[in-house]
Amino acid sequence: MSGEHGELSTRTFVDVHAIQDELEQVRWGLHDDGEFSEAAEHAAAEARASVLNLITVVGSERQLTQVSHVLDALSITNPSRTLILLAQHDRSTGKLEAEVSAQTRTETGHRVTTERVLLHAHGEVATHLASMVTSLLIPDLPVVLWWPGRPGFDNPLFDDLCELGDRLVVDTDEGFETPDLRRLLEVARREHASASIGDFNWARLMPWRHLAAQFFDMPGMLVHLGRIHGVAVYHGRDGSTTQARLLGGWIQGRMASVGVDVPVELRPDDGFEHGVCRFLIYSRGEDGQARFSISYQRGGRLSTEIRVDDQDFVDRTVRMGRRSAEELLATELTLPGHDVLFEEALAASLR
Amino acid sequence: MAQAVTTLTQNVLREGLILPRTPDPAVMVIFGASGDLTARKLMPALYNLALNRYLPSGFSVIGVADTALSEADFKANMAEAVRKFSRTQPVDHAVWQSVAEGIAYVRMPFDDQDGYGRLAAELERMDRERGTNGNRVFYFATAPQFFPVIVERLGASGIARAGEGWKRVVVEKPFGHDLKSAQALNQAIHAVFSEKQVYRIDHYLGKETVQNVLVFRFANGIFEPIWNRRYVDHIQITVAEDIGIGRRGKYYETAGALRDIFQNHLLQLLSIAAMEAPANFDADTVRDEKVKVLKSIHPIDVANDVIHGQYGPGWVGGQQVPGYRQEQNVSPTSTTETYVAVRLRIDNWRWADTPIYLRTGKRLPSRASEIAIQFKNAPHLPFAKTAVQDLNPNVLVMRIQPHEGASLKIAAKIPGPVMRLRTVNMDFFYGSSFLIESPDAYERLVLDCLLGDPTLFAREDEVERAWGLADTIETGWATQPPPNFPNYAAGTWGPEAADALMERDGRRWRRP
Repeated sequence: MSGEHGELSTRTFVDVHAIQDELEQVRWGLHDDGEFSEAAEHAAAEARASVLNLITVVGSERQLTQVSHVLDALSITNPSRTLILLAQHDRSTGKLEAEVSAQTRTETGHRVTTERVLLHAHGEVATHLASMVTSLLIPDLPVVLWWPGRPGFDNPLFDDLCELGDRLVVDTDEGFETPDLRRLLEVARREHASASIGDFNWARLMPWRHLAAQFFDMPGMLVHLGRIHGVAVYHGRDGSTTQARLLGGWIQGRMASVGVDVPVELRPDDGFEHGVCRFLIYSRGEDGQARFSISYQRGGRLSTEIRVDDQDFVDRTVRMGRRSAEELLATELTLPGHDVLFEEALAASLR
Repeated sequence: MAQAVTTLTQNVLREGLILPRTPDPAVMVIFGASGDLTARKLMPALYNLALNRYLPSGFSVIGVADTALSEADFKANMAEAVRKFSRTQPVDHAVWQSVAEGIAYVRMPFDDQDGYGRLAAELERMDRERGTNGNRVFYFATAPQFFPVIVERLGASGIARAGEGWKRVVVEKPFGHDLKSAQALNQAIHAVFSEKQVYRIDHYLGKETVQNVLVFRFANGIFEPIWNRRYVDHIQITVAEDIGIGRRGKYYETAGALRDIFQNHLLQLLSIAAMEAPANFDADTVRDEKVKVLKSIHPIDVANDVIHGQYGPGWVGGQQVPGYRQEQNVSPTSTTETYVAVRLRIDNWRWADTPIYLRTGKRLPSRASEIAIQFKNAPHLPFAKTAVQDLNPNVLVMRIQPHEGASLKIAAKIPGPVMRLRTVNMDFFYGSSFLIESPDAYERLVLDCLLGDPTLFAREDEVERAWGLADTIETGWATQPPPNFPNYAAGTWGPEAADALMERDGRRWRRP
């Protein structure tokens, strides 16, 4: 059966109580005349699943369109209340518009409804949107703040929303510089109201981390782990090193936890455009020098090699998989609590 | 520069990753490698495990069968099988090549002593060239009559014990056809392998949905306090199939619903629905609790508590279908049962006097596997009689398939000026909360075996207890007059006697 994707209601409001009323209406599919028809009775007696509140902040209509595509794909697997804040901090007179809609999907054979509120603010009111967001959340459910692009760290809205949120999801591949990474770490390590951080860029490193860890699960290889004396991370020529720094920071942080200091060298690879393309781990054991390498192969694959004292071990090729924004976000939405390894890697990459 | 020397006892890079560790490099020897199971299930499972980085470097496969195939032919067949049956598509050629490099084929009859010599030489080559260190999984994907001879030859040739490394045996269902044959098979296997090395596969337990029942029960604090005789009126466990027996007539004639579904799937579902909370999730702790349930089952009164049936011609899903006796490879006077319903009692503090009804059947109106817990009625209803007409008791249903999830049936007031109540279902679908595609049951089970975790495999005592119950029923039937089959039409919910069984208790079967 093909999916049904209906806009049950789309209107413009400025008053928070009116938005709340409309949310109730679309949440239960009630008639907007307020009368209890037979259909409305049925709808009222139906249970609804909701797993979270999702807040996302965009700065332009173009970004809104991109984000909406991701949220559409996500609405079937994560029934939620989604608040999209289109905050335009321009000099125009303060103005606030709201649209309430509900997406009902039936691809799985069951009705899954996600209600969505778009708050479009201009001028000063854009800075104070958090005051409106608070009253629109579903109680007792986690609040995830997804901030596509580089967040406005100095905008009071950022701090206000981080305080509301249980988790802040970003993509440090989208133009994050060192000061931005520092601010991110500060958010995670605040004494009060700290949000856990999810990072698409970190999630993309999972296959690299997994393969690196597997090297030392092999019989006789654990001894090399404690004797790592250096790593090299190759990255694309476009100059973006955030991902390479995180991978280097990860192994540095992990090894520091057992008292081993590992120097990390970042090297550009002219044959590759963007992101990490090769990861080399050097160790010196009683059986000689060892080199563990993971290389990106065309077609979205990773291959591994182990060489110990000039002897090659069996290599293998696995899928790396390029995950879309909706897949990455869907995974982030299921992760609980602080990712201490990410925070450790981030801190190490900033040292 | 001074060399840092730190001796580590664990892999600190592994923290935060999905698996606690990677399996050791090993060789999986598949007996029956040219068969359907290898092509449809095993090889696609191995490919997907490799694709997702779960298999270690050096992991190797030796296919063993008596089919005239070169190694290249065998690899080509396996590549074709993966292309056809892998759950992930399209097949990644480079990843498959990486898997295929570790595949070999040994042609031999399963009782040929010389063949085992060649197999041993091939295993040694794998150890030498691929670093598999003597670790072996012997996977019996053959017809069950070959299990004893393969075990015996593995022992006699020394392969079962050769060199270092662990050795494990995976045995496919059916594990015996009654208690006596199951015991004989256990004995034959134990002459060579200890119980800790034996992995009896029941793919039902590898299903995400079945594991979810355990999570549902033991990770949610609100259900356990009411999961007992004080609040539960009865339990219904259903494994219904709308399909017939297809081309499995020959097998089904010797099995029937009792051996095919009741002895394994239904009793597994019963165990996980009725077991006590295990202290931890260790293999033996979980299996101890499951076996305790089977041990607590009150002796079955076959004449009064068991109903069997066989489908006749009828209509299913808008299609006219033949009766069981008209199916391919089935005797026209067959008395094989295609439906079983059993009323059980469990003699323990939790479930005393709480009946548990199990049923399974072929050619029922729909496909459904579920565990339904029906609670007792509220002790007193303060509403006017007209308000609560047809009010049903609370039911908690854990659905295994299709549409895995849970639903709770509760009473609610119909909005309006008068007090009118109606029953509503609150549904939760796992599918709507998780985007990740569920792995095939075989992937999970093969990986568990490689990691040495037998939690989701059946233990010797569990299998023998289950066969004991099936034997009791079979013996009871033998003392009864021949059944008047067929006794239900395809596309109906089984024989009338099954409804009567419930009606005697003042209850009704659910419509799943």
